[in-house]
Amino acid sequence: MSNAYDFPGGIYPPERKQRSNRSALTEAPLPSRVILTLQQHSGQAATPCVAPGDTVKVGSVIAKREGMISSDLHASISGMVSEVNATQISIEGDGQDEWLRLPPLAWQYVEPHALLERLNDSGIVGLGGAGFPTHIKARVVERHAINTLVINAAECEPYITVDDLTLRHHANEVLEGAQIIAKLCGAQHIIIGIEDNKPEAIEALKHALSNSQPISIELKVIATRYPSGGERQLIKRLLNLNVPSGGLPADVGVLCHNPGTLLAILHAVRDGQPLVSRVVTLTGEAISQPGNRWVRLGTSVRELLEQAGLNTPELHQVIQGGPMMGTPLLTLDAPVTKLTNCLIAATIEELPPPPAESPCIRCGECESVCPVALLPQQLHWYARAQDDAKLERYHLFDCIECGACSYVCPSHIPLVVDYREAKSRLRLQRIETAKAEHAKHRFEFRQARLAREEAEKQARKEARQAQQRRPSNTIAASSEKVDLRGLRIAHAAAKASVKKAEKTLARVAQEDPKQSLDDFEMQLATAQENLKAAELQLAQAREQQSSEESS
Amino acid sequence: MSMMRASGVKDAMTATSVPPTASLMRWVIAATLPGIATMSYFFGLGVISNVVIAAVFGVALEAAVLWLRKRPIRVTLNDSSALLTGVLLGASLPPASPWWLIGVGMIAAIVVAKQLYGGLGHNPFNPAMVGYALLLVSFPTYMTLWAPPQALIPNGLWAQIAGTLPTAQLDSLSGATPLDAFKHKGEAVLASEFWATNPLPDGTLSAWRWVALAWLAGGVLLLVKRVISWHIPIAMLGSVLLLATLFYLSDPSHFASPLFHLLTGATLFGAFFIATDPVSAATSQRGKLIYGAGIGALIIIIRTVGGYPDAVAFAVLLMNLCVPLLDLYSVPRPTGHPNTSSGERP
Ligand code: SF4
Ligand code: SF4
Repeated sequence: MSNAYDFPGGIYPPERKQRSNRSALTEAPLPSRVILTLQQHSGQAATPCVAPGDTVKVGSVIAKREGMISSDLHASISGMVSEVNATQISIEGDGQDEWLRLPPLAWQYVEPHALLERLNDSGIVGLGGAGFPTHIKARVVERHAINTLVINAAECEPYITVDDLTLRHHANEVLEGAQIIAKLCGAQHIIIGIEDNKPEAIEALKHALSNSQPISIELKVIATRYPSGGERQLIKRLLNLNVPSGGLPADVGVLCHNPGTLLAILHAVRDGQPLVSRVVTLTGEAISQPGNRWVRLGTSVRELLEQAGLNTPELHQVIQGGPMMGTPLLTLDAPVTKLTNCLIAATIEELPPPPAESPCIRCGECESVCPVALLPQQLHWYARAQDDAKLERYHLFDCIECGACSYVCPSHIPLVVDYREAKSRLRLQRIETAKAEHAKHRFEFRQARLAREEAEKQARKEARQAQQRRPSNTIAASSEKVDLRGLRIAHAAAKASVKKAEKTLARVAQEDPKQSLDDFEMQLATAQENLKAAELQLAQAREQQSSEESS
Repeated sequence: MSMMRASGVKDAMTATSVPPTASLMRWVIAATLPGIATMSYFFGLGVISNVVIAAVFGVALEAAVLWLRKRPIRVTLNDSSALLTGVLLGASLPPASPWWLIGVGMIAAIVVAKQLYGGLGHNPFNPAMVGYALLLVSFPTYMTLWAPPQALIPNGLWAQIAGTLPTAQLDSLSGATPLDAFKHKGEAVLASEFWATNPLPDGTLSAWRWVALAWLAGGVLLLVKRVISWHIPIAMLGSVLLLATLFYLSDPSHFASPLFHLLTGATLFGAFFIATDPVSAATSQRGKLIYGAGIGALIIIIRTVGGYPDAVAFAVLLMNLCVPLLDLYSVPRPTGHPNTSSGERP
């Protein structure tokens, strides 16, 4: 069914990339006001660490990451914080554009942990659309040997030209970013996958390849077909490896990054510049100056589109992302986030509303284009019937929501909508069934926190007593024989369970980015509390022992 | 991302490669025209009047049931599927069948087999074949008598409207189809002897061949236009040829030749126009191959061993019965699943 070096199915939708790839990449004007949402990444929302009235510079941290799968957020303009609420932070600009940068790092010479810390401090997340925190993704080496880094420049969705323009203008830097990640995760090979509809970017890459050090990079140009840019599909086409169902590319020794993310990584490391802007494709027939812009995060979509010559009466809808997988924006006042790769201001002729749906006639067209070799018609049937056992049996969670099936369906059934709904219903159910478990974990967390606080209290008390005792060595201390060995073992075990909880969390978060992570974050926090308590006890015992020996 | 992928979002781009469902149906109707035209050339205007009466019944019955079910009538009729069912059943019946016969068949097809199950997309059985099978079982005399070729203006048109059988057709020998005649030649008679008696009116065999080729032409049009996929017709014709060849080689003196099976009766019509009804067929590509091959095998088995001269309707209905099972056991292995899990247990 699946040939070597290819995935099954696939479609050839009209590309419509010429609209935005014919002008150079430019800077959008500095916005006078930005709104930064606290959730611009997968995982948990960040927690604000500024208050209204605070002055910030570009790059000041305004919200800290919360839990493990989360990301810091930085001010994208300099000025004053005007509002902080549960979901977003607004900043009024002073027009000065004053920066606060971290010290530059020479990535060739610094330790991996310093690089990881820099990625963490810079708020870098995957810019291809998923928004997974890069520092977590880079820690994959703790659990998997990574052999190959894949640069995913396929950019198979119609309209979007972000990677294309990023590579035309910054090929050298993207490759340097790739070298950083390769060093960090120990990859021996770097391979770029790009579709053949981007000749200029390919040319730029060819020039840049020879300069790239120390790992030589392979460029693979593949025929254009949707959805080649899907992680699994690209890995299949480039390396002929099948990422296991429910697994990660890391399971076959591969890590995928998109060019924009690699560029952001380089900026963070080499220039100490946190993630405060990104490249956005502005396109669609309802704007007169389409193209790609460097946009500060938090800029309003309306402002951007108006600067690009928005023709409001012609505008039918604005789609964020591509036409296949993107979502219509409900309001033009939405801000640009780390996840906004493309804004399509479409006229009604351009992307008309889909015709009325008719019943599925089981023609099997959808099946023949599915890149995962699923049976979309059966999934559709069972999704509507809410037959969950059958949905699992027909591998609903293997669906990558690429929309190829909806695209060809002669009955115009919005199949992907069905699948998304079914998936979120099943996810909710899983949370429901795990509720008792969750309560147990919450209880365990509270216990662990109390134990840690107790240990701290004990430590303070001992310290006080020790000070009082020191002049005249007491027998009491030595009578209480310290079980140093037992404590050391407990400490090691606590450390291991933190590692394990981290591993589980990272895996779950990557396997299904839309899943709720609360429970896993809670288990990690519990393990961390336990570790802290064990550390305190161990330190205390060591102290005691050494004071005994010295006396 | 979860916040961005809110549900209830309409997909922004829609198909261009495959014609939409309503026009798929219309393409099938268009592709029946060569077959219908050739049949009427050989068997008279009674073919066309059959088709017209059945189509009118189809649309009227569908509208009536939709009205009773309080469903939108115009939108649904627009998918042309009831019209198609009428055309297919009309083309299957002996020319100039009585109007009430056609009516009974269409009630079975549209009301029972289709709408009672929930309408287009929900019917487990091929509606036209349900109608046909019901008529064959209930009114065998009416169903097995075909007017001899060359009666372009049949005296039977009036009889059709009056609801009786045309007198000319009551002569049973002249009204037999080749399959029928061959079936009833009797065990003792060798095939060569049978043909030597010149059992059919002049031109009957060649008429049936021309009709079969006309259906083939329509079928090829459907394949080229990507209205149907190749899986079912190819699997079905393949298995017809294979089994017929095996029987023939085992005893050429008693069994009909593979070509006879292919070019007489409803084999080609069935392969391209009946078995390919997607709603009642297996849905996966693997399932379709098994489904088609099963129909072909059943056709030959019923024709040679069973009690009915032709067998397309029964073969299709029997395989319709197997579709839930086929669908369950022909789930393809998605990418990323290890080989061993293929054909997973339910
Ligand atoms: S393409 Fe549409 S109509 Fe055809 S089988 Fe798939 S869901 Fe049904
Ligand atoms: S959306 Fe899912 S089911 Fe449809 S083609 Fe893509 S992967 Fe297959």
